Amino acid sequence: MNRKKDKGFESPRPFKLTHQVVCINNINFQRKSVIGFVELTLFPTVVNLNRIKLNSKQCRIYRVRVNELEAPFIYNDPTLEVCHHESKQRNLNYFSSAYTAAVSAVDPDAGHGELVIKVPSELWKQGDDLKVLKVYIEFSLDQPKGGLHFVVPDVEGSMAERGAHVFSFGYQNSTRFWFPCVDSYSELCTWKLEFTVDASMIAVSCGDLVETIYTHDMRKKTFHYVLPIPTAAPNISLSVGPFEILVDPYMHEVTHFCLPQLLPLLKHSMSYLHEIFEFYEEILTCRYPYACFKTVFVDEAYVQVSSYASMSIFSTNLLHSAMIIDQTPQTRRCLAQALAQQFFGCFISRMSWADEWVLKGISGYIYGLYLKKTFGVNEYRHWIKEELDKIVDYELRMGGVLLHPTFSGGKEKDNPTPHLHFSIKHPHTLSWDYYKMFLCKAHLVMRLIENRISMEFMLQVFNKLLSLASTASSQKYQSHMWSQMLLSTHAFLKSISNVSGKDIGPLIKQWVDQSSVVKFFGSFAFNRKRNVLELEIRQDYTSAGTQKYVGPIKVTVQELDGSFNHTLQIEENSLKHDIPCHSKSRRNKKKKIPLMNGEEVDMDLSAMDADSPLLWIRIDPDMSILRKVEFEQADFMWQFQLRYERDVVAQEESISALEKFPTPASRLALTDILEQEQCFYKVRMQACFCLATIANAMVSTWQGPPAMKSLFTRMFCCKSCPNIVKTNNFINFQSYFLLKTMPVAMALLRDVQNLCPKDVLNFILDLIKYNDNRKNKFSDNYYRAELIEALTNSLTPAISISNEVRTVDNLNGDVRLILEEITRFLNMEKLLPSFRNTITVSCLKAVRQLQKNGHIPSDPSLFKSYAEYGHFVDVRVAALEALVDYTRVERCATELQWLLVMVQNDPTHYVRHKILGMLSKNPPFTKTSDSALCNEALVDQLWKLMNSGTSHDWRLRCDAVNLYYTLFGLTRPSCLPLPELGLVLNLKEKKAVLNPTIKPELGVGAGMDTAASIGIHGVGMSFTAVDEEPDPISLGVCGVGQPPQGLKRKAETPLGSPPEPGQILQQQDDDVRDVRGAGRYKIRFNTMEEEDIDMETVHDSQAFIHQHLNLLERPSTPGKEPLSVEQAMLSMPATPVPSFSKETTSSSSKHGGEHGGHHHHHHHHEHKKKKKKHKHKHKHKHKHESKEKERERDNSHAYSNSPASGRSLRSPSLSD
Amino acid sequence: MADPAVASGGSLHLGGVREVYNPAAMRFISATSKTHCFVPRSPPDISEIGRCAKAYCEHTARSLPTLPDTVVTLVEMGFNVDTLPVYAKRSQRMVITAPPVTNQPATPRALSAGQKRTHPSHIPSHFPEFPDPHTYIKTPTFREPVSDYQVVREKAASQRRDVERALTRFMAKTGETQSLFKDDVTAFPLIAARPTTIPYLSALLPSELELQTLEETDSSEQDDQTDSENATGNNISDDPGADKENSMLPPGGVAPAAKASEDNVIDNPYLRPVKKPKVRRKK
Repeated sequence: MNRKKDKGFESPRPFKLTHQVVCINNINFQRKSVIGFVELTLFPTVVNLNRIKLNSKQCRIYRVRVNELEAPFIYNDPTLEVCHHESKQRNLNYFSSAYTAAVSAVDPDAGHGELVIKVPSELWKQGDDLKVLKVYIEFSLDQPKGGLHFVVPDVEGSMAERGAHVFSFGYQNSTRFWFPCVDSYSELCTWKLEFTVDASMIAVSCGDLVETIYTHDMRKKTFHYVLPIPTAAPNISLSVGPFEILVDPYMHEVTHFCLPQLLPLLKHSMSYLHEIFEFYEEILTCRYPYACFKTVFVDEAYVQVSSYASMSIFSTNLLHSAMIIDQTPQTRRCLAQALAQQFFGCFISRMSWADEWVLKGISGYIYGLYLKKTFGVNEYRHWIKEELDKIVDYELRMGGVLLHPTFSGGKEKDNPTPHLHFSIKHPHTLSWDYYKMFLCKAHLVMRLIENRISMEFMLQVFNKLLSLASTASSQKYQSHMWSQMLLSTHAFLKSISNVSGKDIGPLIKQWVDQSSVVKFFGSFAFNRKRNVLELEIRQDYTSAGTQKYVGPIKVTVQELDGSFNHTLQIEENSLKHDIPCHSKSRRNKKKKIPLMNGEEVDMDLSAMDADSPLLWIRIDPDMSILRKVEFEQADFMWQFQLRYERDVVAQEESISALEKFPTPASRLALTDILEQEQCFYKVRMQACFCLATIANAMVSTWQGPPAMKSLFTRMFCCKSCPNIVKTNNFINFQSYFLLKTMPVAMALLRDVQNLCPKDVLNFILDLIKYNDNRKNKFSDNYYRAELIEALTNSLTPAISISNEVRTVDNLNGDVRLILEEITRFLNMEKLLPSFRNTITVSCLKAVRQLQKNGHIPSDPSLFKSYAEYGHFVDVRVAALEALVDYTRVERCATELQWLLVMVQNDPTHYVRHKILGMLSKNPPFTKTSDSALCNEALVDQLWKLMNSGTSHDWRLRCDAVNLYYTLFGLTRPSCLPLPELGLVLNLKEKKAVLNPTIKPELGVGAGMDTAASIGIHGVGMSFTAVDEEPDPISLGVCGVGQPPQGLKRKAETPLGSPPEPGQILQQQDDDVRDVRGAGRYKIRFNTMEEEDIDMETVHDSQAFIHQHLNLLERPSTPGKEPLSVEQAMLSMPATPVPSFSKETTSSSSKHGGEHGGHHHHHHHHEHKKKKKKHKHKHKHKHKHESKEKERERDNSHAYSNSPASGRSLRSPSLSD
Repeated sequence: MADPAVASGGSLHLGGVREVYNPAAMRFISATSKTHCFVPRSPPDISEIGRCAKAYCEHTARSLPTLPDTVVTLVEMGFNVDTLPVYAKRSQRMVITAPPVTNQPATPRALSAGQKRTHPSHIPSHFPEFPDPHTYIKTPTFREPVSDYQVVREKAASQRRDVERALTRFMAKTGETQSLFKDDVTAFPLIAARPTTIPYLSALLPSELELQTLEETDSSEQDDQTDSENATGNNISDDPGADKENSMLPPGGVAPAAKASEDNVIDNPYLRPVKKPKVRRKK
């Protein structure tokens, strides 16, 4: 709403980047290290540019020169450790705000960065004429944990023979992990990239390969790339490995790369890429913007698809041979996605994070058009429905997804999504699930826009954006045209209104500026007298994730005389809508009924209500609202809809509705659909499962053989011997998919004893037995995997006599047969592995199911061995999933530990991400349930994981946050010991007083949690006693209470308070004020958000953040009247935790200033003792001076100590 | 042809051998016929007596010899005919009794193989009967292969399953295993999961068995592919600058585009030769 109306792009930086050179001259696979330099060409945009902030993480920086002059620099990354590690804070609200603050502090979109370079004074004195600055930075990376991923198989041979490779990766803008840059999508520049690699390797990077030159010793070669199109640093990538090269036979400027031995697969998988190219170029009427395109397939990929300027990196697991059916559409989809992002995302970049939705939306939308063209309208509509269901489900469950967050000043706008446990202000703080839903919603909204303005206009808009960008891209920097290559929400909307002349403001307001979806409930009655359909559409707009919809809605009514569309207006208070019917209720015998598509069909209308001409009704059939519709109509209407409505979405909706009507008529309708060859195969597949559900509900009255059995026999078995399935021939894909699905659905059938019928089990076993693929052109691995899944589905809980140990002897006969099949499959897979080891995956799931149902002993060791690094990733994930499930069911602490250790140590990023994701989906316990697993050590471990253990991977950190949220909620975990307040009382008065705010009650607002977190510090006395480096705060407590013997007072206390009895009262007062102060700051922060950070007063952002966080983290002082403190806290307004913005010290009171100092000490404990002496002598007032000095010292220590920091030794301190 | 060494070696030249040895054989044959004439008559035997008696009888133009003929013969041979009755009536004459009549062993019935055929109509009935069928009708000594589809499928399925089971059991027995049960670790032995260094290779590449099946199912396509690969291979060898890596880049000649533009060589920067370092470019 408060969208910036200005056209141009305003850089947050005092300079413009025009060109960057990246030169990596050594890549050591053995040591997993990289050495190189970058050179950035900058144009200052202010007169006295004295500091340059760049982004860099992980890199060790050796020297920085600006125009050949050595320049001092500071390298500080506050996201390494979000809350400093001595903090005993354990509530997620606190962490989230601290994390957001840390990310903000180095956010390139706000002009910040981890690396601050001081421009030598010689240069800025003569800087009046805005001379070009060349910033040269030498850096190295040693065993990078993020940004670059090394895959080095542990075998004999040279690196090339081993298939060792390295590639860049990351979530959103993560290029700073592997070279210093301005890591923003909005800072464009041209690039020169040089990579010196082993002669047996190939370096693939962005832009055009100009030449490849051997080094003098002929053992290495240097790849020179030039990227003349202005590109943002996050769109730069690299992959190096002994790749096999395939020049696309249709487009010679497209080159594909894969790992050794996979060339045949590459050839096949890439054989249709040119069609995708042609499609996009045609609809966008625009040539592919880059001169070349490269696809690289790598192992252990971070995501399946990632697009960068003129190249895309894919997972090698997308490659497949011509024999594989199921993977083919998936791989094509991935390629299409990657290519769509080349146009929107790489070539056209986003202006700010708030504009991300436009680019993702457009690329998702044109990808959808490709799906429609390639896979057909049915597939497309099915996909749209699937995506819509997904987003609706997510939003109703988790709360709204906001596409275009605005953070402009307004107090309430500060946190547009208070229901979330993370901030959506930065891409790096988002939960991965949320981001996926964000992408999903973005393309759905684009489709809504298309519905409004027509596809033709939509494509014209895209064409216009691309033309503007390509004109701009060929210009020199000096023409100031480059910002045309950045797309903002505003520019996009303007372009739409220019091209179409339509106002889509309300639509944008509804779906883009506002989160949530619409939830409709519909019902109807037919008024026979008036011949009117009385439709009632209600909305639920009070539950989480819902919003109120006002506007038009389309309703399609199928009557006896035809199908009619009506557009109703949903208004504030109108629920009922009268729709006149066209047909008279009297039935025209033998008359065909015209359908929507003009087809005329005969229907058996006997089931129908004789008075009503209504066959079925659909609300919003075109899915032009992001909604969920719960519509009530009679079962025969759903059956008509299933049989005769030709839209797959309608068919799918009716199938899900029919689950509630287990009648013979439903059964017949479903069976008919199943048999109908013309019907879309995914509908038929869905019908299988619905039929199983219905059959189970009708179990007592079911007639004839088990559902689908005779159908299957007719479709797939031999004519002469109906119990034997035909030999496989998968040439007809539709029947192939049905063949795969039917046994799986049939296995869900249950008899009166709630067991899988013997017939069905034998039938499945026979399918396995008679499966014969010798004459088939295609691999049957997916089919076999589905058969195993069918076996799994047939399992029912074992009848157990108490808790007897499961042995071979008391194995049920049927289960024995199943187990034998599984054993054989699993063993055969070792000798003849199937594609993507699908069979092992299914077998592992089956084994887990057997364990879970009590047929075999529950034991994690099998899964553990399959989860180890060195198995195919799908197998590992399946095994890990089983382990996660085991952990939940058995509440096993050791397995949970094992999983968490793997999260920390596994070489594959995807696996780590997956483990956390699975743990969140299937948590061992939740915030609402008690568990023995929930203990202090686990809290600490997870806290550490998200606080510092995952600093190299944004996605992983957010996963950890997610898990923490799932396990403990937003507040302080209940398993932690009581905070000190209660304990102090306990010590002194021998009476335990529970602080009511400790209890994490979900109903309590976030503000309350904050209050608790301010007042209560999670340090139990007992904890302190074992802690090696006691929290200063807790020591303070000890001082007041009875200090335990042998406890060293080695840390200094906050507020510089030696625990002198006389000081206590005063201190407490301070504290109360502090607490109140914190409340006040909150408001101030908001108002001062726009204020830029001042380098002179705040020397490093980490200190800065800590300074502010300190306010929150301040412990309540030990006091004789803790209750008063409590009251103070409780009296605070229950406002959500503020998001801490960059802020000047001036906004904080003297207390804040004091706290600034103490936080630095955590970086260097060894100096604490010295300083303590110092401190004792000083009173409050003097501390300002000492603080300054200390901070300097702290800085220097912090930098030299920090593992990922560098500092120029020769250079003078920045603060000088 | 006349080379004796060759002739003696090969059965094909037997004719030659006969030629060489024929004269000797002739001589041998004539020699035997002469010796036959000089067979000594000293031990007069029954046949000689008969022959002479016959000769006497024929001499007198009769057809059947009579006793006087025999007597004359014996006389002629120098026997004293009068002693014959005395000899016959001698006292120590050995009487050979008739052999005891034993049970005639039942001649085993000839193994009847098949039905004896009667004469077809065109053969007159006086012709001999057909011999026993086994002499001219083949007797099947193996069972008719089962061609019933169901049985075949069943058999194939169980065979495959048996082979698979035996193989996996063997593998499980000879290697490390994992078990699902604690009480009986041999019950359902699972071949132990072993991490591989490059797991994606086995998971992605089709197994040899699958490739074989593919070849069987449509060899025509495969042929096409190899043809085109050869063609493109030639293309590449034309390029003198192509280094070793490049030689394994058949740009999939399947594309009509590539074939059409065979003359203009694909200009892809990754196919260009790596330059020698001459003068380092100044940065």
